[in-house]
Amino acid sequence: MRRTLPLLPQMRRRDVLLGMGAAGAASALPRHLAAQTPSLTMWWWGEQELPGLQAFVEESIAGYDAAQVSSMLQDTSVVISQFQTAAAAGSPPDLQYLWNGIYHMESVWFGYVKALNGLMDEGILRDSNPTVLSNFRGNTYRTGWYPLPMFILYNKDLFDRAGLDADAPPLVWEDFLDACDKLKSAGIAPFGGGAQDGYWAEWYVTHAFAQTIDTVGEAVELFIGDKDFRDPRYHEHWTRLQELRELGFLNDEISSIELYPGIDLVPAGRLAMSMSIGTRLLEDSNATGGRVGAMVLPTFGQGALAGRPIVDMQGLGIAEGSSEPEAAAAFLEYLNSPERLEAFYRLTGWLPASNRFDASLIENEAVAGMWRSWNTDNQITNVTNLMPGQFYEQAAIPTGQQVAQGSMTGEEAGDLAARVAQEWRDFNPDLVELYQEWVEDLSV
Amino acid sequence: MTRLKPYLYVAPLVLLLGFVFGTSLVRMFEFSFKMIRGVDGPWIGWRNYRLVLNQPLFWESVGHNLQLLLAIPILIGLSLLTALLLYERLRGWTLWRAVLFLPYVLAIPIIAVVMKQMFQFNGPVNEVLRWLSLDFMALDWIGSPDIALWTVMGLIVWREAALGTILFLARLLSLDESLVEAARIEGANWWQRAWHILIPQMRGVIEFFSVICVITMLSAVFAYVYILGGGRGGPGTSTMVIELYIYNALTRQSLPGIAAAVSVMLFVVSLGLIYLLFVVRRRQDD
Repeated sequence: MRRTLPLLPQMRRRDVLLGMGAAGAASALPRHLAAQTPSLTMWWWGEQELPGLQAFVEESIAGYDAAQVSSMLQDTSVVISQFQTAAAAGSPPDLQYLWNGIYHMESVWFGYVKALNGLMDEGILRDSNPTVLSNFRGNTYRTGWYPLPMFILYNKDLFDRAGLDADAPPLVWEDFLDACDKLKSAGIAPFGGGAQDGYWAEWYVTHAFAQTIDTVGEAVELFIGDKDFRDPRYHEHWTRLQELRELGFLNDEISSIELYPGIDLVPAGRLAMSMSIGTRLLEDSNATGGRVGAMVLPTFGQGALAGRPIVDMQGLGIAEGSSEPEAAAAFLEYLNSPERLEAFYRLTGWLPASNRFDASLIENEAVAGMWRSWNTDNQITNVTNLMPGQFYEQAAIPTGQQVAQGSMTGEEAGDLAARVAQEWRDFNPDLVELYQEWVEDLSV
Repeated sequence: MTRLKPYLYVAPLVLLLGFVFGTSLVRMFEFSFKMIRGVDGPWIGWRNYRLVLNQPLFWESVGHNLQLLLAIPILIGLSLLTALLLYERLRGWTLWRAVLFLPYVLAIPIIAVVMKQMFQFNGPVNEVLRWLSLDFMALDWIGSPDIALWTVMGLIVWREAALGTILFLARLLSLDESLVEAARIEGANWWQRAWHILIPQMRGVIEFFSVICVITMLSAVFAYVYILGGGRGGPGTSTMVIELYIYNALTRQSLPGIAAAVSVMLFVVSLGLIYLLFVVRRRQDD
C-alpha cells in the first residue's frame, strides 16, 4: 500500500484560531472594510532568460484592480529552495513561478503547491499548456506561462560557405556527420557551444536521449530501476557525443566557456550549430539579418520520440499555504486574458504559452516559423524535467561534460548514470514510490 | 574566584556564539539523523552517514580537499619569501605591499570571474602562450578534469598568499631590529639573517597562518570552486569539494539530512584540528 502524502497539510491550532479571529473580525467590520482588496505576493523568475518579462509583470500588476499584488524576482539558484523553505515555514508566496516536471512536482509531493483544477477556469487552464508533467493523481498544478522551444540553432551563412543547403538542414545522423565534415573541411567549427557551467550537457540529453525512448514515462523507468542505463540503447546518446568528439566536430573551447557565450558563437559566425532556446531566437535572428535557422537534432535513435520538436513550458502555480487562493487563481486567469497575452508578446517579443494568443500578431518571420513548426501536436516535452536533482547533478551534467571533453566514453557514461540512479534510489526510497505513481500520470 | 576569572571574561562571547550558532548546531546534528523532507522527517539513525560514507562522490570530494592541502607549503613559502623581501625595504616597498595585498581586498567571486575569463581555452593567457609559440603550454585550464583543480589551487595560492604576506610582514616589523643589525655587522648575509634570526622569531605567526590555511582548504574554498567549476564542481566532478557537496545536497537535491550529516563530519574534523593546534601550542609553551 502506498504511503499517504501530505498533499493537504494538517491545519495547526494557531491557524484555526487566526482564521476564526479573522472571520469574527470581518463580520464585525463595516461592509466596505470587510470587502477590502486582497493582497497577493508573487515570486517569479524568467527575466534572466526572457528580457522584458519584468516589464510585463509590472504592467500586469499595475493594471490589476481585483487584488494588490507585490512581486519579487528570484535569483536562479534559489527559485526552488526559497519557495520550499518559505512553504515549510508556513509563509509561502501566494503565486510561485514553477519550472516544469520534477522541479515543481517535488514541491507538490511535499504538499506545498495547490491543485488548480476547480480553482480556476478549466478552459483557461487547459489552453495555457501546462503539459503532462504538471499532472499528479489526476490534478494539474501549474498554468503554462511561456513556452521554451528547444532546437539546434544553425548559421545559414556558414552552411552556404561549406556548400550545404541552408534551407534544408540534415534530418538524419549520417547526413549530419556529412554536414559536419564539410563544415570542418571549410575551416568552420561544426557543432558544440559551451559546457563549462553544465547546462549544455543537460540540453544535449534533452535532444539526444529523447531519441532513444518511446515515452517520457520510459525515462522515469530508468531512474526507478525498471530499466538500466548500461543497456546500450539508453546510453547511445552519449556514444554519439563521443563520436562527434572523436571526429573533431566539437568546437575546441566547448569545455571552458559557458552555455550562452557558446550559443553566441553561432550568430557571431564562429560556430555552425549549437543547441538553443526560443526566447533567444528573435535576438539572434535580428543580429544576423535573419540568417539563422532552427532544426531538430538529426535522428540516430529508433525511439518514438526521435526527431520530434521539443517544447519546454515555464509556468506559475499557487502555494498550498496561500491565504487567498481564489484571488490568486483570478490573477492567473487575468494573466491569460487576450489583452494580457498580447501585452506579453508586445513587451517580451516572445510568445505566451496559451493557445488563446492571437498568432497573427507575430511580426518576425523566424519567430513565426518557430510557432508554426514547434507548436504542433507532434511536439514533445523536455525529458530532463523528469530527472531527480541528484541524478541531474551527479550524472547528467558530469557525463556530458566529460564525454564532450574526451575524458569519458559513452559506455562509461552509461555506467556512471546507472550507479548514480541506484544511489538516488538508496538516498530517496520515499521518492521512488512517488515516481512510480507519477509514471501512471505520464502515461496518460 | 581566580580560576573562574578567565572564564568570566570569555563568557559574553561564548554566550553570543551560543545564541547565534547554538540552535543551528543542534538542528544540524538532529537533521543528520533524519530523512528530512521540508523541515522535518522520520528518525533514521545512522543511515545518512552510511549512505554518504559509501558514496564514491563523497570520497572524491574529500580527496580534492586533501589535494588542496598540498598548496599550503607553497602558500607559506611564497608568503614568507615575499614578506622577507618587503622587509628589506627595497625601493618602492610600500607600493609593492599595497599591490600584493590587492587580491585579498577584492572579493573572491570578482577575481574568480576574471580568472575564469583569462584561463578559457581561447582566452588571453593561452593567446599569449600561442603568440610566444608555446602552444604546448596552452592547456584547457578550466575545461580539463585533469587540470581544473590545479588551476583552482593556483588561484587560491595567489589570493591567500596576500594575507600571509601581510601577517608575516606585520610580525617582522614588530621585531627588535637590533638583532638583525648586529648580524649584518657581523657579516651575515640575507639568507643567514632570515633563516637564523627572523624566521625563528616568526614561529607563532607561521603556525597561526598554517592553521588558517588548513581550515581554508577544508572548509572555505566554496567561492573559488563555485565560480571556476561552473557552479557545479566541474568539469565532471573534478573540482567537487565537501562544501559544494553539502550545498548541492541541500539546495539542488533536496537532501537536508545528507547535507547535515556531511556538515557534522566537517565540523568534527575542523574541531579536531583546532584542538590539535591548542595541544601543540600548549606543549611548546610548556
